[in-house]
Amino acid sequence: MPSRRSAFLWLVRKEWRELVVSRSWWVLLLAIGPLVGVTFISAVRTYAEASGFGGTSAGVGEAFSPLIGIWAPTFSACEVAAVFLLPFVAIRQIAGDRQSGALKIELQHPMPAIARIGAKALVLLAAWGIASLAPAAAVVLWKSNGGSIYAPELATVALGHLLNAGLTIALAAATAAVTEHPSTAAILTLSVTVGTWILNFIAAVQGGIWERAAGYTPPAMVAGFQHGLIRLDVVLVTLVFVAAGFTLAAVWLRLGVGVRRRAYESVALGAVTAAIVSACSLATGSWDTSESRINSFSEADEEALERIQSPLSVEVHLAPEDPRRADLDHKAIAKLRRVLPKVQVRYVSATSIGLFEQTSPHYGEIWYEIAGRREMTRATTAESALQTIYQLSGVAPPVENDDAMFRGHPLAVPPKGAAAVFYGIWPALVVAGAVFMHRRQT
Amino acid sequence: MFEARNLTKRYGRLTALTDVSFSVRSGEVLGLIGPNGSGKTTLFECLGGALPLDGGAVVRDGRPLTDRERAATIFYLPDAIAPWPAQSVRWAIDYTLGLFNGRADLRDEVIRRLDIQPFLDQAIGSLSKGQRKRALLAIGLLMPHPVLMADEPFDGLDLRQSRDVAQTLRSFASAGRTMFLSIHQIKDASRVCDRFVLLSGGRARGEGTIRELAALAASQPGAPAADDDLEEVFLALT
Repeated sequence: MPSRRSAFLWLVRKEWRELVVSRSWWVLLLAIGPLVGVTFISAVRTYAEASGFGGTSAGVGEAFSPLIGIWAPTFSACEVAAVFLLPFVAIRQIAGDRQSGALKIELQHPMPAIARIGAKALVLLAAWGIASLAPAAAVVLWKSNGGSIYAPELATVALGHLLNAGLTIALAAATAAVTEHPSTAAILTLSVTVGTWILNFIAAVQGGIWERAAGYTPPAMVAGFQHGLIRLDVVLVTLVFVAAGFTLAAVWLRLGVGVRRRAYESVALGAVTAAIVSACSLATGSWDTSESRINSFSEADEEALERIQSPLSVEVHLAPEDPRRADLDHKAIAKLRRVLPKVQVRYVSATSIGLFEQTSPHYGEIWYEIAGRREMTRATTAESALQTIYQLSGVAPPVENDDAMFRGHPLAVPPKGAAAVFYGIWPALVVAGAVFMHRRQT
Repeated sequence: MFEARNLTKRYGRLTALTDVSFSVRSGEVLGLIGPNGSGKTTLFECLGGALPLDGGAVVRDGRPLTDRERAATIFYLPDAIAPWPAQSVRWAIDYTLGLFNGRADLRDEVIRRLDIQPFLDQAIGSLSKGQRKRALLAIGLLMPHPVLMADEPFDGLDLRQSRDVAQTLRSFASAGRTMFLSIHQIKDASRVCDRFVLLSGGRARGEGTIRELAALAASQPGAPAADDDLEEVFLALT
């Protein structure tokens, strides 16, 4: 028999050939260009207007960062493609062999099932890499138009979308392997995606454990990366889910193993995955790669806060759907968690929207407690939280340093050449590529 | 070569194979014959590793073969498949040769004998049933496994093609390759096979040469005398 490596390479080559004859992949490529074009052109126009282009007052966009103004909306096209197009490419790649009968031939090679799935995953990730040339073209256009690029934050956004694609591919692989027919797999995959949206909705209403679980759904994961924040727990949990999806697919690809045994193995895999995910969710490391430090307090504030050794307790009397609570979470609590060693937050509310709690005298109160001393405020801004914490801890607040403040990169230019690239050149290249590859292979 | 002992396969409450036992000898062409629904394909799928067995074992030298040993011994060519439909026959042959480290030295000979050259560069999905069958048989013949197990190797072939394929299979058997063929056309089976396993209702009703099966048929209580005609033997035993 051939060495395992050479057989694996044969399999990778075959998966690549199967990918390039797959119509679903060419449709994905064809669609992602204009999708990125729409979001990029719209983002650049808005950015330019805010920066003083087209008659608006100059300087409005001074605090604008390309991360929020350009990359988050432009790369959101990748999220749409990952949710609505990529699953079909992956399902076709996994289920095609079973449908055609090729799997019955290939399974006779004594290669581990996980290696078979690995070959498919490699090719599918490469496919996603090629599709990512569309946002890469947007980066080149932005740079050529004089836009500022801060590599760490851009790399973080790209990493988030790569992880999201990996998650989508793993999910589609699992459903394609478990079900008999590709259409069932597609329905199941979209059901899981809709399920994560429902989870996010419940989390917004109920808070608590739902909110914590929703933090690991693909939309929440991508949102974090789009803000330049890399959270270790999110990365680890995502990687565990990706590995679990591919392993589940490998379990169900073994047609010669009894269904009952495969079902038991799947249950065991689910239990192991749940245990590892629980452990990974305890990881606390995080990195703010944004140039504007959007996820962090100023460096001076962080140095001051690091001197506080006592645990901080926060009691928030705000309902989950109250916008002030989201404001407090994003502007203060999330940043505090990244600096202070121990932050305990307790939310107190009798209802989900808080509308009928407004008459309660305590509703809206935010209590901070350090070393037995308590202080109440109703403001949800970062400045208010910091001021209260400095008061309670006895740590002197830092002197404000205007030089360290992020000034932004205003750019008042229209998206020159973008329409030609995304609506003309890109589709033409994709169609030419599809015709060339089809002719070359057959 | 190997023995199948008490092979049993169930689909829920339906028992498709019940204690099926037979032996496969090195270098022979063994035919698996039986009426539609007798369990021929199920038996092949189980031996080929595409379906799990519920009971029994494949034994060699008195010892059950592991899955890996079985996979290294038997290559199973399923019926009614169109693998890699968008790829050319040439690529499919080269791919399976590479993947399984097959008999590349026989490639040109097999292509010539099965008359594949005219459609070598056509996509598998665009082939006629007979062309696809010959392309798949080429893949099977080029595999390095000592046993080729082909499900309905003559299905879709015309008379001339059936005769040519039968001659090719026989010549490979003469060279030492063991053939185990599932055939529902009794005439095809009698033309190419040395021995037969007769399957009916998921049970092995007999095993042996035509003469041995005829003797078995004759020994059945109340059975009419069956001569050395396989069709008569088949009818007598099923």
